[in-house]
Amino acid sequence: MLSDKTGSWTPVALSADLPAGTVMPARTPAGRIALWRSQSGRAAASADRCPHRGMRLSHGFVRGEALSCIYHGWSYARTGNCLRIPAHPGLAPPETIRVETHEVEECGGVIWVAVGVPTAQPPGLEGVAPLRSLTAHAAVAAIETAAGAKAGAGGLVWQAQDAQQIRLLLAPQGDEQTLIHVLLDDNSSLSQRIAASRAVERLRRTAEDLQTKGIAP
Amino acid sequence: MMQDAMVDEWYPVGLFSQLDVNGRKTALMGEPIEVALDAEDRAKVTCGDGRTLPVCVRYGHVWSSLGKPQKDLFAIPEADQPGRRLVDVGVIRVRCSPLRAVENFLDIAHFPFVHTDILGAEPHTEVEDYKVEIRQQEDEVWATQVKFYQPKAAKSASGGITTEYMYRVPAPTCSVLYKTCPPRPCEWDVITLFVQPLAEDLCDVWPWMALFDDVTPMTDLIHFQQTIFLQDRSILENQIPRLLPLDPGMEIPTRADLTSVAYRRWLKRHNYTYGAQLVAQ
Repeated sequence: MLSDKTGSWTPVALSADLPAGTVMPARTPAGRIALWRSQSGRAAASADRCPHRGMRLSHGFVRGEALSCIYHGWSYARTGNCLRIPAHPGLAPPETIRVETHEVEECGGVIWVAVGVPTAQPPGLEGVAPLRSLTAHAAVAAIETAAGAKAGAGGLVWQAQDAQQIRLLLAPQGDEQTLIHVLLDDNSSLSQRIAASRAVERLRRTAEDLQTKGIAP
Repeated sequence: MMQDAMVDEWYPVGLFSQLDVNGRKTALMGEPIEVALDAEDRAKVTCGDGRTLPVCVRYGHVWSSLGKPQKDLFAIPEADQPGRRLVDVGVIRVRCSPLRAVENFLDIAHFPFVHTDILGAEPHTEVEDYKVEIRQQEDEVWATQVKFYQPKAAKSASGGITTEYMYRVPAPTCSVLYKTCPPRPCEWDVITLFVQPLAEDLCDVWPWMALFDDVTPMTDLIHFQQTIFLQDRSILENQIPRLLPLDPGMEIPTRADLTSVAYRRWLKRHNYTYGAQLVAQ
């Protein structure tokens, strides 16, 4: 995670895991969000709560350029304003009905969501390409201990045994869980990618063991 | 917590037809209770502290209370009308406030999205104006002249019809729905929602029906209602906050939500706040 005094960027998902016309739940240090991609391909993030009846918007559906709540179909633009209330099709929803939104940046196959107002762009990740994401039941500290390296602004650079160098982006999920995005040299062969995927699964098990035994700092 | 006026109300605690002498362990407003048949085949409810609690058996269910009910259980005159089939649907456990479960039952605007192609379907999403009142003499919330287009309103319905509804809230965790009866246009089908508050954020929902339908097998009638309530559960377990906000500001009602507005107002007026959130957080 890259942070400065006014805000930070959280890597919430890989671009490939959010196809056009879908929504998924995600977490930032500021709370739960509904992360969605419009039909035309733009990623957007809003608070994961419809202001009408409190339903999670991540259970909703995407049509065109809007995210709709699954409960009553209220739909919202990427800017957060309510576009339509199906129970009252003739009514233009007032400006006051809106969901909180977050700035989204997508670069190098990673979707970043802003918490606060970051002054800088998300870290550039040149020369690497995303491989996959996985969730560890372990805090960031346990993963750092397992990897023998600390996470910096551009993630954690890990030299795994029997695998090439792997870069990990770590996003804390609360409850001692961490979402790990795995990035590899963008020239990696299929067998290198398979080896890296297995190496990260081993790392996860090691980190989870450390977490369970309370060995992690 | 037990200062709440809801402590003196009646609540469903099980189906009478499923009781036996061994008893059923359950809970009522956070207190462990046991519901059993006594030696004379009468329902008996015992609290965890050893007290014998008030009991009545009505509408297929055993009803009890942790406090001292001031009046008899509400009447449903249609329950005694000859020719109706009485359907014990069973129980659905939902991790939500008992008040949220009732509010969802009072809502029709969700039909096209949650009960798609059964109780509603796009583009028929509009909720026309209806009448809502708190009837002073009965002290009940009533919504009347509620109309909605339904692709398959009941197990006995063969195609889409505009269904008319009346809703009644005679107790804080109970609602009675009167609904167009496809085989008998001059009568109303009765579908009820009886909610047992296990805790402020956990409840057992006991739907019950009194229908004019001599054709549909009992199993199909039960499956139909269970399908509907399981769809509702996917909503109810994902609302934030779990408790029902009674103060304005936390949620935004529209004209379609006037029944819910009246229900919340009625709850607040009576200090029925078990399962409610009073201050916006």
